[in-house]
Amino acid sequence: MERRNFIKSIVVASAAMTVATPSMLMAEEAKAATVKGPNDMPLADAIKAITGDKEAKESDKIKLTVPEIAENGSVVPVKVEIDHPMEEKNYVKSIHVLNSKNSNSRCADIMLTPANDKAYFSTRVKLAETQEIITIVALSDGTFMKAGKSIKVTIGGCG
Amino acid sequence: MAETKARKAMIKIKPKKYKVGDTVKVDFIVIHPMDTGMAKDKESGKIIPAHYVNDITFSFDGEPFTKMTVWESVSTNPYFSVKYKITKKGKITVDYADNLGEKNSKSKKVKPKKA
Repeated sequence: MERRNFIKSIVVASAAMTVATPSMLMAEEAKAATVKGPNDMPLADAIKAITGDKEAKESDKIKLTVPEIAENGSVVPVKVEIDHPMEEKNYVKSIHVLNSKNSNSRCADIMLTPANDKAYFSTRVKLAETQEIITIVALSDGTFMKAGKSIKVTIGGCG
Repeated sequence: MAETKARKAMIKIKPKKYKVGDTVKVDFIVIHPMDTGMAKDKESGKIIPAHYVNDITFSFDGEPFTKMTVWESVSTNPYFSVKYKITKKGKITVDYADNLGEKNSKSKKVKPKKA
């Protein structure tokens, strides 16, 4: 009986080991993944937070100017121009600049008014790796447009 | 909470010469570290806490015309540029606040040339 118990204990222990190791590995991975910015948000969630249930259509009206290759990821110029009138009742309400692979995918939200006269925004962003810049534009009638462009980043700029 | 520091900031109106009715570019630059909360201090090895400009409001004579919400993905010493149609003499003010509660503002006079 002793021998049987001994074997049993070994079997149980080894089974426990096989269960434990992957879970421990996963815990470590999770730990590594949590070292992120304070506003960690995946792209899909960020887009949903902006558009709600509506869908953003690809549009040629948005002129997104970004470099094809960014040698320094910490300073990447981004320029957005929208070919849309800025009248009292028909104007560009907001421009949202997003990225696809930084830990916080939202860069900037810009709320415009008809006083701006032209829908234009320019800034510089940090990019951690080669990825895509996406702009979502909300119009005053409640519709959304989007445009995206990928940027090759030679040296990452986050951390 | 970080104590409120006087930060260096600058507003530029481009082009320099403008008339009433012109649409000008309003550039705003502030000297700010924009820490992401991911980078480590090279000497102490501790993570530098996130510190970034969060809320920016552009206004003309007290009437806001552009509001921005910005996160840490924007570069160090951030630069923002929007367009604005000059209608009269006045003052452009930019109020900015960061995630640690610092609040500052910067203004520039608008003096359109006579046409």
